[in-house]
Amino acid sequence: MDDFRWCDEIKFRRREKGIVGVGKNGYQKQAMEIYQFISEHLYFNRPDMEIKGERFNSAILLSLLTGLEKGKELIIGEPGLGKTTSAEYVCSLIYQFPLGVIWGSEVSGHPEQTEEKIIGRPDLGKLNRGEEDVVWTNFSQIPVKIVDEINRLPETKQSMILDGVDRGNWEYLNEMIINDEYCLFATANYQDGGTNTIIAPLVDRFDVMVESRYPGANLSFLIGKDKRKDHVLRHPKYEKELYTILKSKIAYEKKISKIEEVCNSFGEYLYEVLGVRSFQRQDRDQIRGEMGSLELDLDASAFTRMLLAELSFCERYGQKRVVENCEEGCHYTGYLCHQIKNCASNRLPSSIKQYAQGLAWILEDSAIDIEHIQAVVPFTLGHRIQWKDEILSQKERSKRDDPFPIFLAKEAAKAVSQRYREQSEYLKDALAVGSKIFQGGALEPLEGDHPLYVEIKKDLDARKS
Amino acid sequence: MKPSPLQKKGSILPPDKESWIIKNPFEEFKTFTASTPGLPLDQIVQSTEAIMDRIRWGYEKLLEEEAKELVWMVQYNTIIKAYEVAEKYVKEIDYTAEDIEEFCFALENTQKIPYLIPGPAGVYISALCNYAGEEEIILKLSELKTEINLIGFRLPKGKRLLIEGDTGDFTGIGIEGGELVVEGNAKNWTGAGMRGGKILIKKNIGLHTGEWMMGGEIYVGGRVRGLGNIVEGKVYERDKLVYPGKVRYPNLYY
Repeated sequence: MDDFRWCDEIKFRRREKGIVGVGKNGYQKQAMEIYQFISEHLYFNRPDMEIKGERFNSAILLSLLTGLEKGKELIIGEPGLGKTTSAEYVCSLIYQFPLGVIWGSEVSGHPEQTEEKIIGRPDLGKLNRGEEDVVWTNFSQIPVKIVDEINRLPETKQSMILDGVDRGNWEYLNEMIINDEYCLFATANYQDGGTNTIIAPLVDRFDVMVESRYPGANLSFLIGKDKRKDHVLRHPKYEKELYTILKSKIAYEKKISKIEEVCNSFGEYLYEVLGVRSFQRQDRDQIRGEMGSLELDLDASAFTRMLLAELSFCERYGQKRVVENCEEGCHYTGYLCHQIKNCASNRLPSSIKQYAQGLAWILEDSAIDIEHIQAVVPFTLGHRIQWKDEILSQKERSKRDDPFPIFLAKEAAKAVSQRYREQSEYLKDALAVGSKIFQGGALEPLEGDHPLYVEIKKDLDARKS
Repeated sequence: MKPSPLQKKGSILPPDKESWIIKNPFEEFKTFTASTPGLPLDQIVQSTEAIMDRIRWGYEKLLEEEAKELVWMVQYNTIIKAYEVAEKYVKEIDYTAEDIEEFCFALENTQKIPYLIPGPAGVYISALCNYAGEEEIILKLSELKTEINLIGFRLPKGKRLLIEGDTGDFTGIGIEGGELVVEGNAKNWTGAGMRGGKILIKKNIGLHTGEWMMGGEIYVGGRVRGLGNIVEGKVYERDKLVYPGKVRYPNLYY
């Protein structure tokens, strides 16, 4: 009863602000409604990023984009600061799953975790009769995949999850189910006695890393007063129905359509009770189509190329490699390549583009510009860069608000932005000349003092040969 | 059908798979044309050159108007007239002390300025110094082969002009309250007709020092070769007051 009164209050406050009901105009407004609802009622926070005059909390915003974009997000933070719950709320509202089902499909990280608990197990009844059949876990079946404390899992189990999520295939006993739609949220505590490391190739598969931060003493105090607020996203009847479908022995494709029906009913319930419109499957597909159609403008493209060049270039050894060290007195000492150990992977530009598309879409911009890229770069880069020890020791005591890896990535993005500002026109010109030469024009590539000019030449030489 | 250049004989690519052909990685930039050419450094160089062109143009005009036969007699009225012409052009230019120094070197080193006539050049440089925005101007002229005459002409009150190197004749004449410091030597007629202010010559000074000076002070770190007919003011040689004084007579060699 208390829950319903609380819901009415939320709905009333939202109607007062004119938020409820505007979702009909566009999916972006609907997405912002979800953002505001979570931000104001479920996950107390302080905004920590600004783009185009709008201030956002990075944990909610990036989780929202992860859910909408079918991305993979690593949420780090101190214990009890809402890493898992923020992901649960976002998933519940984007995918229309009651919280009870999400909880029942989460994989929790501990050393004893097994493939049988994560992916599926043999149907023991059938096995007794000499038949092989698989009982799939809820985790492998539903599109919302949350792994709690992934760094408590042994590395082999981490790898198993990320392999499955990378391809969308879950295999057990020669049987397979394919997820058409899925997103992954994994949480990780800072290193302590019970954690394993997340190895570099696995970390690279996460599109973004974000910190779930302490909201401050005053908001934290309010959280303590508002007990069991998550009950608004629960619905025992629909939860039971969904469990029944997930347990049933019908074909996976049929299960999915049945699950969608129940989820849609839960979505209607959410709208009636809370005034928040969640997304149906066709809405999500259309949103992804809209996001996918957004292209980078020239500045965004040139800036991203400049960043990638700095993160992968080595004049002496052809490219960055984690096993090779920079040469003394290298001409490119002032660039990021001199500060890092590893090379940017091919997943990095995909992640940057994917999240920049999401950000541009939610801000209702017609193309991805440099501001969108600059906003997402620190979160796509923070977990992927391996900094040299001297850089870490130089900067670890710097005054900052962000966790160290995100702080370093923000500093790196700032440095590249500065360099881009200084030579953006010339750089775009160099790329334009590159295009003309590539198409057979008798021109000389432009010279410049940045790894990207060398990369352009390399591409043109490769074309000639 | 003619095969495309990329589909060589024996290529493994199917003939109709356009998307398999190597993509131009710079495709999106093919229509880009740079809106502002050059790097910021180029822009700085360009704007400096534009200022230098204007300073040079003013000097050429001064020569055209005041030194038509490439001869310039130093007479009081010619100096005043030349200064008025120089003032006219200098007032319209937005420049800094660095531009003045650069102009001094351009006088000697480039082909763009046809003649270095020390008199008009000095008047023009003096006008540039007097109308510069900075209160203190430092001109590093020690590398200059020619000693420029008339530097510091009519230096107004509140201005300080420091010359690194030697200066020619008529240094600091008609100073109107400013402070002129020469790190090297100065030639004859230094401080002639000065009305106030201070001239400090760190090394030696020539003949006719302070001729018809009406006020102010001249300090000389080295030797004073000869004093002029001084009306009023003070001249010091190595901290010792030599005018007014008993032992020194105008234009006496000693």
